[in-house]
Amino acid sequence: MKVVVDTTLCTGHGRCYALAPDVFGADDFGHCEILVTEPLTEVQRAQAKLGADNCPERAIAVHD
Amino acid sequence: MTDTDAPTTGPTTGPITGPTTGPITGPTTGPITGPTTGPIVGPAGGQITDPLPGPDGGDEPLRFGPNAFDADPEALAHPQPGYTEMRETTPVMRIPDGPIVLTRHDDVMFALKNPELFSSVNAIEIGNIRPLIPLQIDPPDHVKYRRLLDPIFAPREMAKLEPKVRALVNDLIDEFIERGECEFSADLAIPLPCRVFLEILGLPIEHLDRFLRWKDDIIRPAVESMDEAKVVQHEAGQAIYDYFSPVISDRRANPRDDLITLFVQAEIDGHNLDDDEVADICFLMMIAGLDTVTATLTCSISNLAQHAERRDAIVADLGLVPAAVEELMRWETPVPALPRRATQDIEMRGETIKAGENVVCLLGSANIDPAEFPKPDDIDFTRSGNRHLSFGGGVHRCLGSHLARLELRVAMEEIHRRMPDYAIKAGERPVYTSGLRAVEYLPLVFSAGSRVGSGSRA
Repeated sequence: MKVVVDTTLCTGHGRCYALAPDVFGADDFGHCEILVTEPLTEVQRAQAKLGADNCPERAIAVHD
Repeated sequence: MTDTDAPTTGPTTGPITGPTTGPITGPTTGPITGPTTGPIVGPAGGQITDPLPGPDGGDEPLRFGPNAFDADPEALAHPQPGYTEMRETTPVMRIPDGPIVLTRHDDVMFALKNPELFSSVNAIEIGNIRPLIPLQIDPPDHVKYRRLLDPIFAPREMAKLEPKVRALVNDLIDEFIERGECEFSADLAIPLPCRVFLEILGLPIEHLDRFLRWKDDIIRPAVESMDEAKVVQHEAGQAIYDYFSPVISDRRANPRDDLITLFVQAEIDGHNLDDDEVADICFLMMIAGLDTVTATLTCSISNLAQHAERRDAIVADLGLVPAAVEELMRWETPVPALPRRATQDIEMRGETIKAGENVVCLLGSANIDPAEFPKPDDIDFTRSGNRHLSFGGGVHRCLGSHLARLELRVAMEEIHRRMPDYAIKAGERPVYTSGLRAVEYLPLVFSAGSRVGSGSRA
């Protein structure tokens, strides 16, 4: 599983790192940073999906 | 907003209906992307035609109107069925002599994500004589201001304010906790965001009343006509400029540890922000920050006070507070609409939006669109995906959202910890306002408790 953020779409709502802080972090602007590398653990996969499902901008994609 | 009293009160004339049973319009078709090089097509298959040739000779900007005293109190308390009716019958609705209202989640998101088509410039006028920064600046200049302001309002900066916010909340609760009752709006929800605002801008608490008066004059003018509203708003706007002018000069001469000092020292393109730019930021902070948190707190607590099972779930597990804050923001959508202005002719769902026309993104409707939210009429604190648009979206996503969330979370935690059995006072009813949704009268009773004396300045 791979989790990616489209930084051109992220506007810093911060839902991802609020809900899934092990997978997503915030840069100085409050925009999303991916904190994990493959392979993702089971917990990280669930968090990655949670972040994607709550991003208002649909900036996060999770690929199998 | 403003003329959107019509959409917020909506065409609800009948009784409150239950969960929507209308057709579910299917999942959205993937991410809405930014400007494309080909013809721009809305999610509804709409297409852009006839680029705007000359200067904008379009509609007057929207503004906040007088309170709709004749509005049905039931519709004000429960606007959701009206939103649903609009979305299901006329998803792109042209209000006679008014704006065009977008009601679907995907259409609203399309507008918010395409500021070159749906501009914020001149979309609303609230007594300001220059564009508010950064809200009424479109890209590309917009990004310069956000690069400056985003770090100041980023979550990690806002987190530093948590002890202060918690002390302010507890001071306010101390004032009424021994009585076992309060008028939640006046006693907590109104003063809290204003005191936080004064604190972070480094302004004296004695000025609280004048800021509350100015924001009410602008957002909730106590007049009967649009013309009168315009006069009151301009007077308040001028008073705000007059207030900030000497404060900004003072901070240039005498820097302090506050946001105004940070703004006057900030640089964009190698030069400091000038006094007008700093004033335009402060003006927006005040209008965007004071009323919205008040509105969200009152709508949320009113909802919970009338649904003890939801209140009790939070009391039993304060860890639910962040999710409850989000879900109540989705359902209540206290800022029900965002104004935009079409820059070109745009066709959406069979309706042609003309260049220069006002467009209203009805967030309250988008937030209960079954195409985005399964069982949208269920208030579910365990909802797994919640892409609500209560803070807007796209480049103008609410700059202060992380401060708002901090204030809301801390207030909700302390309320449910210290007055866990709060309920609407017997024989009383919450009174909802039109326009920006708020509960202006919210009498609560609860078991009396003891003061905690946070030690914050009174």
